[in-house]
Amino acid sequence: MSEKKLVMVVDDDPDLVEAVSMKLESKDYRVAKAYDGQEAMEKIQAEKPALVILDVMMPRKNGWVVCDEIKKDGGLKDIGVVMLTAVGDAVPSTSYTHHDGKTTLADDYVPKPIDMDQLVEIVDDHLGS
Amino acid sequence: MSAEQDNCQEQQKTPPPDSSSGPGTDKSIRQSVADIFFQPRVLVIDDEERIRDACHRLLSEEGFGVTCTKNGEDGLHVIERTHFDIILLDLMMAGLSGFDVLSRVKSLHPDTVIIVITGYATIEHSIEAMKKGAFDFLPKPFSPEDLRLVVRKAIEFIRTLQDITTEKSRMRVLINLLTDGVLTTDNQKNVALANPTFLKMLRCTQTNVQGCQAREVVSSPRLLEMIDEAMAQPADNFAEIADEISVGGADDSDATIFGARCIPFRDRLGRKLGTVTVLNDITSLKRLDQLKSDFVSMVAHEIKGPLNSVLMLLDNLKSGLAGDLNNKQHATLGRATERIKSLTALSSELLDLAKIESGLINQEKEELELSGLVADQVALYQQKAAAGSIDLNVEKIDSPVPVMGNRTNIEEVVANLISNAIRYTPEGGRIRAYAGYAGNYVLLRVSDTGYGIPEAEQDRIFQRFYRVKNEQTRFISGTGLGLAIVKSIVEAHKGIVGVESRPGQGSTFRVYLPKIIS
Repeated sequence: MSEKKLVMVVDDDPDLVEAVSMKLESKDYRVAKAYDGQEAMEKIQAEKPALVILDVMMPRKNGWVVCDEIKKDGGLKDIGVVMLTAVGDAVPSTSYTHHDGKTTLADDYVPKPIDMDQLVEIVDDHLGS
Repeated sequence: MSAEQDNCQEQQKTPPPDSSSGPGTDKSIRQSVADIFFQPRVLVIDDEERIRDACHRLLSEEGFGVTCTKNGEDGLHVIERTHFDIILLDLMMAGLSGFDVLSRVKSLHPDTVIIVITGYATIEHSIEAMKKGAFDFLPKPFSPEDLRLVVRKAIEFIRTLQDITTEKSRMRVLINLLTDGVLTTDNQKNVALANPTFLKMLRCTQTNVQGCQAREVVSSPRLLEMIDEAMAQPADNFAEIADEISVGGADDSDATIFGARCIPFRDRLGRKLGTVTVLNDITSLKRLDQLKSDFVSMVAHEIKGPLNSVLMLLDNLKSGLAGDLNNKQHATLGRATERIKSLTALSSELLDLAKIESGLINQEKEELELSGLVADQVALYQQKAAAGSIDLNVEKIDSPVPVMGNRTNIEEVVANLISNAIRYTPEGGRIRAYAGYAGNYVLLRVSDTGYGIPEAEQDRIFQRFYRVKNEQTRFISGTGLGLAIVKSIVEAHKGIVGVESRPGQGSTFRVYLPKIIS
């Protein structure tokens, strides 16, 4: 492999970002980090990662919106998006309600809690490594 | 106040019991008299002394307080000051006639029962007296038995009136005291009765609503619909219409939620007379329920997320991503990982329970084949059972066992029962899972040869967080929520769950689910 590919990890839980990053770095990826949707969009524009691992519930801009913005932007739409969803945990009547993951344009989904091996496999598949 | 205080010339005290029980005394009149808790008062107005004396003697014997006057003028004088239950009135008297007295009494004491005594029993006089409100007539000459008969009838009538009045006032007091709202309507949907609570609940400012159309009083369209539905029911149907209605409030936060039940009521021939509606304020219950489920899911999420992050970090450490570990460090991280895993399991189950209890879990039901579902779960747990040298197997039956249920939920029930059995069965034990039939139910049974549950604790194991702890089970990990979840799911499927167990011999859990009726 000539150049390490850049994966961006976006979640409002810094420990989760840290854990995933550590794992991906050990698998020879470069990792960029963002902690909310707004910050993610800015860094994606600037750094053009090959893949974004994107949490759903985040301050300022949620993951579904970020995903839409990436996929509807001609310059960004080739960036892979893997959503971290907790759809199975949603209690419909509470403030934790969110969209049905299947209506968005994401390339793949990994349910929370994250199975790290599964996540690495998906990242490998998308980046062809 | 008693009859003796009245100014009447021939007042006589009630004779002591038995003194009058000679032959011919009608016991049932005595009984009727006794049933009325005050002594009924009779006024006899007749110009014939013979008649007055006879009536006085006879009626006193029957337990009445009797007053006699010899003409209409004296009679009216007494009536103006005293209320009588029965008046025996001679129609043809010198001076003021019986008819005049009759009219006067009707306006003074409409409830007084008047029996006219007619000297010559002409139909015309009697009919005229009846038209003017007399209850009955007694033609002269009459026998003591005739008098008893007519007075008995009058007493029955008074008693019935009194019962109705008592019942009415008791009912009115009762209904007005209720903290539930009550509305009754007639068959034209007019308000027959609405208690103060009802009016307050519906924020109705009118106080006198009797006779108004229900729609003028009831602001909730749904409640009006319910009244229509209740009235529209066919004669052989007596179903209660029940729903939740929301009253007032621009947004949900200050609306009041009522549980409303509406049923039609009918007469003896089954004709619809109207409806009765009862409202019960469930606002605080609904709010509490919502708060509870919000709180539980919030806690579970806020705990689960960080715990999972910690787990991933620990996993990275164990995998050596932060440098090599010695054996002791590795083992310590392993222990920490296990503890955190059991905490995440607890928060998952809390969340499940909150979902099930708030009735919001995906309850889409489909036809499931229970025996295959059980076999699948047994296969999934095979490895875990084998790790504890436990023989886990399915007791097969030949026919399929269809049941209506939510797949995820029913799988969770089976999985919970099997994993419980594995955890509470010592090495070398045996677990059998079975799906079949029991009467009108589909039966799911999981039996083990485990530690068993003491009888005193068998009822409590389905409670949240309850765990049987003794020297054998102390080190078994668990959240104490598994069986509570099983119970919630089974009950949401209109089923029953139970346990039979003997300490030291094992336990058998049975789940009964309604059979599909084809």
